[in-house]
Amino acid sequence: MTDDRLRVTSEGPIVAEGRREPLLLPRGLRRVPRGVDELATEHLIVNMGPQHPSTHGVLHILLELDGETVMAAEASLGYLHRGIEKLAESRRHHQVGTLLDRADYVSGIHTELAYAMAVERLMEIEVPEKAQWLRTLMAEINRIASHVLFVGTFGMDTGSMPTFLYTMREREALVDILEAVTGSRMMFNYVRPGGVTGDLPGGIIEKLETFLSTVDTYLDEYDVLLTDNEIFGPRTKGVGVIDRTTAIAFGMTGAPLRATGMDWDVRKVRPYAAYAQLDFDVPLGSQGDCFDRYVVKTAEIRQSLEMIRQLIAGVPEGEYTAKVPRVLRPPAGEVYTAVESPRGELGIHLVSDGSDLPYRMRLRSPAYYNLAVVDEALAGGLIADAVVTLGSLDIVLGEIDR
Amino acid sequence: MLPAEADVSRWLAAAGASAEVTTSILGVMARIEAARAADVLATLRDGEGRFDMLVDLFAIDTGEGIDLRYHLRALERDEDLYLAAYVDYDGEAPSAWRCYPAVLYAEREAAEMFGMSFVGHPNPKRLLTTDEVQAPLLRKSTPIRTWEETRRD
Amino acid sequence: MSPLLVIVLRTLAGLGLLLLNGVVLIYMLRKVLAHLHLRIGPNRVGPWGVFQTSMDVVKLLTKEDFRPATADKWLFRLAPLLIFVPSFMAYLVIGFSPTWHFANLDTGVLFVFAVLSFVPIGIMMAGWASNSKWSLIGGMRAAGQQIAYEVPLLLSVLGVVMLAGSLDLKVIVESQAGLWLGFLPKWFILPQFLGFWLFAIAALAESNQTPFDMSEAESELVTGFANEYSGMRFGFMFLAEFSNLFVSCAVGTTLFFGGWLLPGLEHNAVALALGPIVFMVKVYLGIFCMMWIRGTLPRIRIDQMLSFAWKALIPLSLAWVVIFAVILKAVRA
Repeated sequence: MTDDRLRVTSEGPIVAEGRREPLLLPRGLRRVPRGVDELATEHLIVNMGPQHPSTHGVLHILLELDGETVMAAEASLGYLHRGIEKLAESRRHHQVGTLLDRADYVSGIHTELAYAMAVERLMEIEVPEKAQWLRTLMAEINRIASHVLFVGTFGMDTGSMPTFLYTMREREALVDILEAVTGSRMMFNYVRPGGVTGDLPGGIIEKLETFLSTVDTYLDEYDVLLTDNEIFGPRTKGVGVIDRTTAIAFGMTGAPLRATGMDWDVRKVRPYAAYAQLDFDVPLGSQGDCFDRYVVKTAEIRQSLEMIRQLIAGVPEGEYTAKVPRVLRPPAGEVYTAVESPRGELGIHLVSDGSDLPYRMRLRSPAYYNLAVVDEALAGGLIADAVVTLGSLDIVLGEIDR
Repeated sequence: MLPAEADVSRWLAAAGASAEVTTSILGVMARIEAARAADVLATLRDGEGRFDMLVDLFAIDTGEGIDLRYHLRALERDEDLYLAAYVDYDGEAPSAWRCYPAVLYAEREAAEMFGMSFVGHPNPKRLLTTDEVQAPLLRKSTPIRTWEETRRD
Repeated sequence: MSPLLVIVLRTLAGLGLLLLNGVVLIYMLRKVLAHLHLRIGPNRVGPWGVFQTSMDVVKLLTKEDFRPATADKWLFRLAPLLIFVPSFMAYLVIGFSPTWHFANLDTGVLFVFAVLSFVPIGIMMAGWASNSKWSLIGGMRAAGQQIAYEVPLLLSVLGVVMLAGSLDLKVIVESQAGLWLGFLPKWFILPQFLGFWLFAIAALAESNQTPFDMSEAESELVTGFANEYSGMRFGFMFLAEFSNLFVSCAVGTTLFFGGWLLPGLEHNAVALALGPIVFMVKVYLGIFCMMWIRGTLPRIRIDQMLSFAWKALIPLSLAWVVIFAVILKAVRA
């Protein structure tokens, strides 16, 4: 970088009474004046993370505290930066999926799908119906697994330990199915340009039906433990309010945007894969607080279950992949494809120069833009609210840092 | 999904910017001057175009310079527009954060990865890498193992 | 036997009881929480994992005695003692049976609560002396919370004192003897229903249990005020927390559930022999309920907790004391 201001962490140890000038705020808007009377209260600057039981991944946030109130917050990223965009420039197009699995490690299918769609759009490959069906099924299973993980960790952020372990029970069932189909519990490497790597093995539909028959009672358990809970309500209602204008101005997508009432879901507005044939609703919130973001996600779980039921009801025939050359050479050009990942709109902007390697691959990660609002949304609340607000944004550091 | 080229030219003319508008498989892309980027974005957001969301801001290394890409979206009309702006290596572009605060992180990352700077950014620190990394990582001149070398390990 | 020997033996017995309680309670907590969370809990060390806690104590004893270089030397060492000793002292007045108690104080109730109010000082000292910002925040939270909840704790007990007419725990238990209408035990929980609930909530808050465990909020502050403590210093504070739990439940049982009394069997030799067992069963049932709550509910935020104490519990307890005094006077007149 051509400036001489270094990283936050390289500015030496931060001592409670040492640092005099306050943290820089992005917009300089939320500065609350120091003590009204002559008693100057010391503002503590604490590091939340990068090792911390509640930041979801290796996220480092500096908080300037006045007692328990957060005066200013600044996120310090990059602990999980692996140079995925640079590495993609020396991987062939069917290998880039292995890198992207590790970007958003919770929802690998969606990231791979976005990239495969980008290559297919450039090369004008027609993906067979069976492959689209398989992609949609795996994507929805992945979505439920990710949302259920969100419910668990969000409950744990508010102190409810049992929710975390109950949601792991659901996630185990889904991850078992994903492992049976793709071969791996997390790094799937399943969706390739042209289709997928393999058809469903035998018995998967039965496993899914077993899962679907028991999951509704479990979702009701979460409602009792969290949604209808008298303690969870005040912890999350009215906390971390991000209204619609702020959300749109910060480029937020996904559940945080839909919690403000904006109806934007890539699966509905710009359908891809088999979503055009599925019948589902898009749950919306109204206040834009943590509770609405949570409720939107739990409602989305139920919608995804509906979608899976519709998918299982009609299994198409056909090939699981189109015939694509062994080495893919998309013609020169640029393309942008977007999918609705559990975190929001995940886009791949692919620049190809006609060779077998991508010239530039840009991953537009939803959590990156969802996180940018945190510097502003955390100020004014308590530390406990900061933890809850961060948890409600459902970030995955892998795709933020890439 | 795609705004009409004529509309785009009109909106950009209202900003007083010269632009060449092309349509491709990507969508509608308008090439503008980097120095006018902030004004153009403000006009696109507040004027007729009503492009209220910035979806992404990133850069591409063309070999001779840095090509910035702004990806804008008008949510009500469901239309996407791309702006391309050329900046020299170690050059400058105006920061668009007052218009779209979404670029706060994206500009820091683009500056760090490609070696340029955004004038007027309130917090121009490096975002993703540590101090030891001096070279702009995403430039083509920064070496990386080639595809053959990754196979031979 | 010389009085000094008696005192020493009683102290050792009390210490033994505290340690045994700690071991059993920690194991019980881990197992109860585990089964509530669809897990199993310790099951490797010994049959059903019963030796887990003892081995954990051995581990803590063999750890390096580590003190952060910038921590305040003497306060850092004093704080765990200040947390542990008061809860040990509170064992003094617990009556396991008419003849089994460590000391018979006329002002048992007052003594217990006075001694337990030293614990917030110790916690604040631990948080401050660690010279770590997160510990400091945890210590401040704990201090504010425990000071706030002491008032409803004491006020809720006043009704019981009025009913029994004495602060002596032995007299309180004995005035709960007998049966109403032939089958209902005369335990003070029946007339003092609201008082019991106030006491239960305040006791949960005083022992830093979920839903009131903001000061040790695991998902925010790791261990709160005890962040920088390791080895047996941490062991002391950990043990003190469980001993506090036992003391609160023991006091609650004595005040509201008839202590060692078994309804229908008072004042005979069987009752005397069974007394301690009945008492411990009641106390452990209360502790089980506390752990059950701990394993289910989320955490209340610190400012919500404090405003709940000052704006809801204290006015309610004051009102209850006044109303109950009026009712009692009317009934006894």
